[in-house]
Amino acid sequence: MTNHWNDIQHSDVIMCIGSNPAENHPISFKYINKAIDKGAKLLSVDPRFTRTSSKANYYAQLRAGTDIPFIGGMINYLLENDLIHKEYVVNYTNAAFLINEDFDFNDGIFSGFNAETFSYEKDTWTYQFDSDGKVLRDDSLKDPRCVYQLMKKHYSRYTPEKVCEITGTDKKDYMAVVETFCSTGRPDKAATIMYAMGTTQHTYGTQNVRVYAMLQLLLGNVGIAGGGINALRGECNVQGSTDYAILYHILPGYLAVPTYANTNLEEYLTRWTPTKTDTQSANWWGNTPKYMVSLLKAYWGDVATKENDFCYDYLPKRSGNYSYIKLMERMQRGEFEGLVNMGTNPIVGGADSGAIGKGLDKLKWMVSVDLWETETSVFWRRPGADPKTIDTEVFLLPAASSVEKEGSISNSGRWAQWRYKAINPPGHAESDAFILDQWVKKLKELYAKDGVYPGPITDLDWNYGDGHEPDIDMVARECNGQFTKDVVIKGKSYKKGEQVPSFAFLQADGSTTSGNWLYCNSYTEKGNMMKRRGLEDPSGMENYHNWAWCWPVNRRILYNRASVDLNGKPWNPKKPVIAWNKISRKWEGDIPDGGWPPMNEEGTKSPFIMLPEGFARLFAAGLADGPFPEHYEPMESPVGNAMTGQQCNPAVMAPENLDNSDKYPYVGTTYRVTEHWQAGAMTRNLPWLVELVPDMFVEISPKLAKKKGLKNGDMATITTARGTIEARTLVSARLKPMVISGKTIEHVGMPWHWGFNGLSTGASANTLTAAVGCANTTIPEFKAFLCDIKKGGSQS
Amino acid sequence: MSKVNLQKGNVFLIDLTKCTGCRGCMVACKQWNQLKAEETDFFSGEGYQNPRDTSEHTFTLIKFREYEKNGQVEFSFYKEMCMHCDDPACVSVCPVNAFVKTPEGPVIYESDRCIGCRFCMIGCPFNMAKYEWSKKLPLVKKCDGCYSRVKEGLEPACVTACPTAIEYGPHAEMLKLAQQRLKEYPDRYIDKIYGKDEAGGTGVFYLTSEPFEGLGFETVTKRALPSYTWPALSLVPGIFLTMGAGLTAMTWITQRREHMEKEKNAKLDKQNSTESKEEQI
Repeated sequence: MTNHWNDIQHSDVIMCIGSNPAENHPISFKYINKAIDKGAKLLSVDPRFTRTSSKANYYAQLRAGTDIPFIGGMINYLLENDLIHKEYVVNYTNAAFLINEDFDFNDGIFSGFNAETFSYEKDTWTYQFDSDGKVLRDDSLKDPRCVYQLMKKHYSRYTPEKVCEITGTDKKDYMAVVETFCSTGRPDKAATIMYAMGTTQHTYGTQNVRVYAMLQLLLGNVGIAGGGINALRGECNVQGSTDYAILYHILPGYLAVPTYANTNLEEYLTRWTPTKTDTQSANWWGNTPKYMVSLLKAYWGDVATKENDFCYDYLPKRSGNYSYIKLMERMQRGEFEGLVNMGTNPIVGGADSGAIGKGLDKLKWMVSVDLWETETSVFWRRPGADPKTIDTEVFLLPAASSVEKEGSISNSGRWAQWRYKAINPPGHAESDAFILDQWVKKLKELYAKDGVYPGPITDLDWNYGDGHEPDIDMVARECNGQFTKDVVIKGKSYKKGEQVPSFAFLQADGSTTSGNWLYCNSYTEKGNMMKRRGLEDPSGMENYHNWAWCWPVNRRILYNRASVDLNGKPWNPKKPVIAWNKISRKWEGDIPDGGWPPMNEEGTKSPFIMLPEGFARLFAAGLADGPFPEHYEPMESPVGNAMTGQQCNPAVMAPENLDNSDKYPYVGTTYRVTEHWQAGAMTRNLPWLVELVPDMFVEISPKLAKKKGLKNGDMATITTARGTIEARTLVSARLKPMVISGKTIEHVGMPWHWGFNGLSTGASANTLTAAVGCANTTIPEFKAFLCDIKKGGSQS
Repeated sequence: MSKVNLQKGNVFLIDLTKCTGCRGCMVACKQWNQLKAEETDFFSGEGYQNPRDTSEHTFTLIKFREYEKNGQVEFSFYKEMCMHCDDPACVSVCPVNAFVKTPEGPVIYESDRCIGCRFCMIGCPFNMAKYEWSKKLPLVKKCDGCYSRVKEGLEPACVTACPTAIEYGPHAEMLKLAQQRLKEYPDRYIDKIYGKDEAGGTGVFYLTSEPFEGLGFETVTKRALPSYTWPALSLVPGIFLTMGAGLTAMTWITQRREHMEKEKNAKLDKQNSTESKEEQI
């Protein structure tokens, strides 16, 4: 989230697209209702009429996977009717930048495409520079090569008629959403977008998010109260897990994982430290060397010295894609001996889960650390498997639940909040920290004995007290970071062992440690900031700066320097985030995105401090699949691409088990319900929740039900090119058929919570989904695939 | 946790325009009251509704309604629970005073007095008193407004779990809040506070955007129900007294019998355990 949960109440328009907060983020509705009480309009854009839709002022149905045309049409409407927040757009985005003359877009393909490698050479996706290396710009936005004009041309094709032809949306509903949302380009209005997995789980998921960001930038809605791009994370600490590097390509604090080409620290830092392309750019990632060296110091302590490159050689280097889908593929090829599942249940939650089951059969050993006996932990008992042919040795380690251990969680709004242990875990259950600690200690012992290249393990600075489990307070202190020697910084002296006050004090010379630079400031000499529970609210904006702590440096709204005009005056003085006090020459309100004076003063910096140019990108060269989001059909789709001749995202290689034939005429999509949780182990074993939703079900329209002879509650069989499942039919008018290019399109909706083990059992929807991912993130395309549905099942 | 004002009769204000049907209230209710999960099959109502009705195991239920309005599909949720009437029929019809309207607001039920006559079930205009069909010696069960919490100054479990729709507080405050909402958002609501006058006034107020009848609300008289029963019963005081006395006697006998049975069982248990110990030795 650029903003945070409480801040939603300041919105004038809230669009829920690719999300269903009433069902999957119920508490967020408290703030949505607050906004509605103040006059806000709620928009729900979803293939299904959900519990969220039931509360919306306007509901627009769209076909699964057509977000880009839906929003692209809004961009077109904004530009055609000149409803953008022009002052914001010219001064804070790259709209005025001129683009390389050779950049081109033709029939769905951007310039530089290599069809053999499914990738782009991006040398034409660049700005034009003058001889001094300064970006050429046209603030009148009239130059045909400026981003604004190229964007206008690109989205001029997304007319309301064309959009509705693709998305299947009723034009009246579409225009109601468009007009309501696009009314917020005024400085005194704010709109927010709440999105989740309905947005990201597509082969162009990153571009879906991008197109939302463009819309919000054009309306001047980023950085302001009640605005922003707000990802509703699907688990209470999933924000924390990405901050702390659960993904394969990042180290803590979103530092890049070194690749094979980065052979030493200098090469790594040269490759991954961006240089500013504008004199007014803060170019925050220019600090990468300080953060990286402090991280290496946190990992290897005193052993890490300037002479040995701070043990940079100890870091594993990556040579490819280690995303979930790719790992599962490799497991199916028998490339792994073992697998550790910590709080994950791939045989239910992974795409093409039938294939994952076969992959598990090939393992020599497997460990599951979980609260419950998950399907994955007993994979040999799955339907159709023959335990006699499976040799995998399996260990189930019972884990402590969130209330049975102490530590921090970071919510969607980036607030790191401390939680205390309420009760002891039952039986032999232990916290994840305990389990990891035991592993590391054993590994250290084994590597010390006869390890090959033991340094990375034996030299690991791993000292978290002598208790039964690691002292979590010491872990939190290390994440923040400490001084390794007495130093003087900015005229102030700090003693060895003191906590570093914030990341502005981190150094690249080894004098500081920090386990995660983003969290530097979370545990200072004043104590553990995450434990704070202050309810002070001096601005009345409910930012609660003394409640817990949020990254970065307790800044509650990101890019807040874009919430003010060039003089530092809030665009909307009634809902200020920050304001420049001319007398004290300081910012008041939220922690500003850097303390530099406003844009019309000497020594200022541009608001989008994380980019080398300092301007938000309407044209973004960094993505794998194009600088402007463009409509492509999902990998499996019942219709051809009505926009161009390029059917699917050209930067994604299709797997073999796709089938676009008439054999599978319906659009399958998956989702969650309030009453169950993810892969279900935590809820399908709880009788009170099983009572509410006891069975795996499939939702279809009355029309499709009639055609298939299905009645409410009947068992149905759903099939895709990957597999077959059975589920109880829920016939609902909330799922309407749509007509697209004269063809009736039906959605078949399924929750993905079920598996074969536990109190409530049922088929896993992911037996049906394809293991094909987004061009940028490899997140699987769970949300749109082709299927067939028939009456009856083996159990009926 | 919010403190409850113990001096005044408290009221639930349930704003159905804010209810998202998340059913956190149902789970919180079962957790606080340690109620059994019902065995359900698929769904037993419109939408995702489960179970079908309130029962001895389910004191509160979110009823789902799916319907069409102006060609648009609608999805509504309605929380069903004991209405905690100001002058409750269950209190007036109970021959052994097992029901009590407490000064704090909740209408509570004292099971040790109950004789299982089920007059309350017939008397309740909202059909909220439920019989323990699952037991050999059934009693009556219903929402007691979390009296065990309220008398300690804590809000009812469903109120604390609800992210959006339920307020809880003194009658006058809740009434004022409800009236304020009706005035402030005339387009959002039907101009009526359900529960304000129903059955002579209840401890649960509802606000809604849809006609109450369509959501499954009972249409009940505005007169307090005991005002019907007492004049009728006063004509037959002898019968009532005799019956009352007789039933009380029966309760006493039943309870005594149960008590004796329990003691006997306890003795037997003790003997058995001693015997098994001896065997082990």
